[in-house]
Amino acid sequence: MGRVFVIIICALAALVLLYLVVRNVSHEGRYSMDIGGAAPTAAGGSDNSAETGFKSRLHGLGIFSGTILGVLLARLWSMQLMSSDNYYQQAESNRTRTVTTDAPRGRILDRNGVELVTNRPSLTVVADPSVVDDEVEMQLLANLIGMPYLAVRRKIQDQSAGAQSKRTVAVDVSRRVVAYVEEHTHLFPGVEVVERTERYYPCGSLAAHVLGYTGTITQEQLDWSRDPNNESGITYEEGDIVGQSGVEWQYESVLQGIRGEQIVYVDAYGTVLDHSSSVAPQSGSDVVLTIDANVQQAAEESLERRIKLLHDGGYTACIAGCAVAIDVTNGEVIALASAPTYNPNVFVGGINDDDWNALSSEDGGYPLINRVVSGQYPSASTIKPLGTFAALDYGIASEQTGFYCTGFWTGFGEDYGQYCWDHSGHGAMTLQTGITYSCDVVYYEVGKGFFYSDQPEGLQETYRRWGLGAETGIDLPSEEAGRVPDAEWKWNYWDTAADDVRAWQGGDSTNLAIGQGDLLVTPLQMACAYGGIATRGTIWRPHVLKSVRSATGTGTVIEHSPEISHSVQEDSSYFDLVIRGLEGVIYEESPAQAEHFVNMAETVAGKTGTAERPDQEPTGWFVAFLPVESPKYVVASLIEQGGFGSQSSMYVVRDIMGAIYNEPDTSDAVDTTGAR
Amino acid sequence: MAELTGSQPAGSLTSLLGRESVPTTQKRHRGGWRQAFYWQQLLPALLLIAYGAVVIWSASLNISSANFPRHMMGIVIGLAAALFMRSYDYRALANMSTALLVLDAVLMVMPRIPGLGLSAMGMTGVVRIPIIGFTFQPSEPAKIVTIFLMASLGAQFNGKIENLKDYVRLCAILTVPFLLILVQPDLGTGLIILVTGAAIIIVAGPRPSWVLVTIGLIVGLAALAIVTSMTPGLPHVLKEYQLNRLIVFVDPSVDPGGSGYNLQQAKIAVGSGGLLGKGIGNASQSGTGFLPEAHTDFVFALLAEEFGFVGAAGLLALFAWTIFATISLAQRIEQPFAKLVLTGVVTMWSFQILQEVGMCMGIMPITGIPLPFISFGLTSMVTHCLAIGVVQSVWLHRSKPA
Repeated sequence: MGRVFVIIICALAALVLLYLVVRNVSHEGRYSMDIGGAAPTAAGGSDNSAETGFKSRLHGLGIFSGTILGVLLARLWSMQLMSSDNYYQQAESNRTRTVTTDAPRGRILDRNGVELVTNRPSLTVVADPSVVDDEVEMQLLANLIGMPYLAVRRKIQDQSAGAQSKRTVAVDVSRRVVAYVEEHTHLFPGVEVVERTERYYPCGSLAAHVLGYTGTITQEQLDWSRDPNNESGITYEEGDIVGQSGVEWQYESVLQGIRGEQIVYVDAYGTVLDHSSSVAPQSGSDVVLTIDANVQQAAEESLERRIKLLHDGGYTACIAGCAVAIDVTNGEVIALASAPTYNPNVFVGGINDDDWNALSSEDGGYPLINRVVSGQYPSASTIKPLGTFAALDYGIASEQTGFYCTGFWTGFGEDYGQYCWDHSGHGAMTLQTGITYSCDVVYYEVGKGFFYSDQPEGLQETYRRWGLGAETGIDLPSEEAGRVPDAEWKWNYWDTAADDVRAWQGGDSTNLAIGQGDLLVTPLQMACAYGGIATRGTIWRPHVLKSVRSATGTGTVIEHSPEISHSVQEDSSYFDLVIRGLEGVIYEESPAQAEHFVNMAETVAGKTGTAERPDQEPTGWFVAFLPVESPKYVVASLIEQGGFGSQSSMYVVRDIMGAIYNEPDTSDAVDTTGAR
Repeated sequence: MAELTGSQPAGSLTSLLGRESVPTTQKRHRGGWRQAFYWQQLLPALLLIAYGAVVIWSASLNISSANFPRHMMGIVIGLAAALFMRSYDYRALANMSTALLVLDAVLMVMPRIPGLGLSAMGMTGVVRIPIIGFTFQPSEPAKIVTIFLMASLGAQFNGKIENLKDYVRLCAILTVPFLLILVQPDLGTGLIILVTGAAIIIVAGPRPSWVLVTIGLIVGLAALAIVTSMTPGLPHVLKEYQLNRLIVFVDPSVDPGGSGYNLQQAKIAVGSGGLLGKGIGNASQSGTGFLPEAHTDFVFALLAEEFGFVGAAGLLALFAWTIFATISLAQRIEQPFAKLVLTGVVTMWSFQILQEVGMCMGIMPITGIPLPFISFGLTSMVTHCLAIGVVQSVWLHRSKPA
C-alpha cells in the first residue's frame, strides 16, 4: 500500500517536472513567433545568433538545475525508501538505552528447609551519573562514608550496568550515613540510599565446601556466557556476582535471577527523556540440598575437635581432614565436611587481600579445597574388601583358602621380604579374617597370585568396576578421578627411567593389593564403593541437590531423580564374606574400637585404613556403613597425618553416625592395638 | 528580438501564465493584481517560506536557539525587502557596475572592520550594527550584489563575448568578491559566489573553449591547494577543518566522533524519516541533539525526518517550480541584463539546494550553507526574499524600455 502511494507521488512529481520543462520550451516557441511580428527595439543591437545563444544557454541552465533536483530526489528515494529500515534502527539505537537492575539470587536450603545461604538487605548509597561533575558533592560524600575521594569518583564513573544506571558508591553503610544523607538532601542532589541485597551465609562456615562462594564474574565466565552455544540463557555483564565454587557455581544457572531491564529514551547528552517498557527483575530459584544441617554440623565439629586433639597431642602436622555421609539407597549426600574450612561471607562484596592470602596459603592447609571430592590419597587397607572380591572373582583364592602370617612375608624371595603391619604376625588367616584384622600378608598373597596369573590386571579391573579411577559424577566442581595404576601407566609415567624400573613388578601388585604405593582414591570414591558393598552391588551417583523450588510460588520445579552409577555383579556369598569381615573390624579387631559401636542399636560394618608416606605421620581412614541388616548410610572420614584410622577418623565416623541416629558416642575407650 | 513587453502586452502575458486566453482590454483592471506579480515564481516561493516556518516552529519545540518569533521577524523583514526590491527598477543597476563592485567589496570587508565584526564559530563573517545592536552576515546580501555586478558587466556584450580580453576581465572582476570572502574565511559562501558568477559569465556568451580552459585551471588550482594543504612543509591554503571536511566526505568512517559524526547523524535523520516521516516534534534525531545545527545547516535533515519522503520530495518540487518559473521568465524577457540577473538568482538557489540537501544526504562535503527560505537565520531569509523581489522586479519592469 505504502509502496504504491510512493510510486504515484513520484510519478506525479516527475510529470510536474516534465511539464515545466516542456512548457518552458513551448513558450519559447511562441515568443519566437512573436519575434517575427515585432519590430526590433532600441535595446536590440544584438543579432539573432546571440538570441539563440541565450536561448540554448538558458536551456542549459534549466538542465543544470533539473539535474541537481533529480540527483537529490534519487538520493532521497534510495535513503528514505530503500534503506529506511537500516537508518530507522540506527536512530532507535541512538535514542534508546537499557538500564538494568540486579535480581536477587536464589537461596540454598538444607533438606529440612534450614537456610544455609540467603540474601540480606544492605543499605546502599547510589548516585546519578551526573554527580561526577560535582567535585564538592563527591568530596562531601567521600568524607561522610569514609572513602577516598578518588574511589568515590571511580565508582560513579563505572558504567557497567548501563550509562544511565544509578551508580553504587558504597554498600552496607551505617544508619548514621543514611540519616545524614536523608536529612541533608540539598547537599547531595542525585544521591540516595536504597536497600539492595547481599549474599549472606547465616550459618557462617557451615557446609562451606558444599555451598561454595560467590564473586565478581571472571572474564572466562563472561566469554562463556556470551558464547552462542550457552544454554543457560543468562547473559552476564561485567561486575555481575556469580557462583565461583560449590553449589553456588554448580547451580549458577538456577540460582541466578533474571536481571530487570528498563528501556529509556535519551537525548544526545544521555539525559533520560522518557521511560519505555520495563521488565521487573526475577529472582533466582531456591535450591534445596540433600545436606542435613544437624548432621553437617556434627561432622564439622567432630572433625575439627579430633584434628585439634591430634594436633595438640603431638601430631603437629595434623591440620586437615574430611568426612562424608551418603544415603546408600539413593546417593544423597547427608553431610560433607572438609577441614580446614572457611567462611564464605568473607567473599561477599569482594574479598580483601589478607583474607585471600590466608585462604590460599600452604601453612593454612588450603581451606578452599574440598578434600572429599578433590583430595587424592592412597586408599590403604580400606581397599582390602575390593581386593577380596578380585581374588574370589579371578580364582586367586577361595572362601576356604588359608593363609599364614608370620609378620614377615617372603613370597618373592628372602631379598624381597615385606612386613605385615603387625610384625608379630596374625597366624592362620582366611580372606574374611584378612579383612577383619587387616592382615597384609593375605593381600600380599593375593597380589602375588595376580602377578603370576594369566590376568595380571584383575585387581585393577575390579577396582575400576567399583568406581575407582573415575569421577563419581557428584554435582560439585573440581572433582578428582584418583588413579588406579597399571603396567601401561607405570611405563609411561616413568618414561625417563630404565626399562626394568618402568616395568610392572611383583612389588607393585602387592602394594596395590594393600592400597599403598601409586593407588590414589578420593574419600568420596571410597564412600561410594562401601555404599555399593552395603547395597550388594548398587552404587548410586552421589549428589547434593535435592530439588529446585519454583522462583514464583511455592512449587518445586525440579526434583532430583537418583541415578545408578555402577551396578557391580558379585556372587552373593562373596558379599556375605566381605560384609562379615567388615563387621568383624567393628566388633572383633580391637576391643576398644568395638566399645564405641556396641553402644549403638544399629549393626555397623566398616574398615580402618592407614596410608603411609615416607617422612610423614600416617593418614588415617575409616569407612563404615549401617545398619548392616538393611543398609542406609555410609560414612567415610580421613584425617591427614593424624595417625592410624582407628585413633583418628574412626571417632569422626562414629560421631556422624551418632548424629544421624541421635545416639552419641558414650565411650571414652582409646585403641592401643594400633589396628589399621 | 522578442517584444515581450510594450503597450499591449496583456494577451501574451495571460498566456504566459498558462491560463486561458482572455480578451485584454476588458480584463485589465480585474486582472491587475494578477499581473502585478509573477505568480508562477512567487507562489511556490511563498509556499516554501510557509513550509520553512512550519519546520522552524517544530524545531523551536526542542532546540532553544531556534527562536520562532525571530524567524517570523526575518520573514516579515524579508517580504518587506522583497516588496521594496520589486518596485525598484532593477534596470538602473545595469549601468552602476563600479558602484556595485565597491558595495560588494565593502560588504565583504565589513566583518573585518574593528568595532563591527564579531567572532562566531571560528569565522568572522558576522557584523553587529552599532546602536541598534543588530547582527547580520554581510556576505549574504553580497551574493545579490555580486549577481547584479556580474550581470551588469556581462550584459554589455549582448550575448556574445568576442574578445578574450573582455572575458578575462569578467573573470578577474569575479575573483575580487570571491577572494575577499575566501579570506574571511568562508569557503561555502565563496563557492556560491564563484558558481553563481561563473554561470552569469557563461550565459553572457564567451567561447566554449575559453570556459573549458578556465574550468580546467580552477580544477587544477583546487587540486594544487588540496595537495599542498595535505603535504607537510608546503603552505596550507585550506584550513585544517576545511581539509577534514573534505576527507570525511570521502570516507566518513575516519572521524565518526567529529565531522563524520555530524554527517552520520544527518544521514540517519534523513533515512529514518521513511515514507511519511515521524511527524512534527517527533524527530528523535534532530530534536534531541544527536544532529547538531538541525535548524540551520542541517535543516533539510530535520525536515526529511519529520515529513519523510513525501515532505522532502514536496520541498524539492516547490524548489523546482520556483526555479523553472524563473528560468522561463529569463527565456522570455529580452534584455540581456535581466536574463543574466535571473540566471544568477537561479544558479544561487540551485547551488545552495545542492549543497545543503546534498550535504545532509552525504553526497556533498559539509559546509555551513543555509537552505533558501527554510533555514533559520535572518540574513539568509532576507537575502533570498530579496532575490524573490529581484525576479518580481524583472516581471514588473518588463514593459518599460531599458
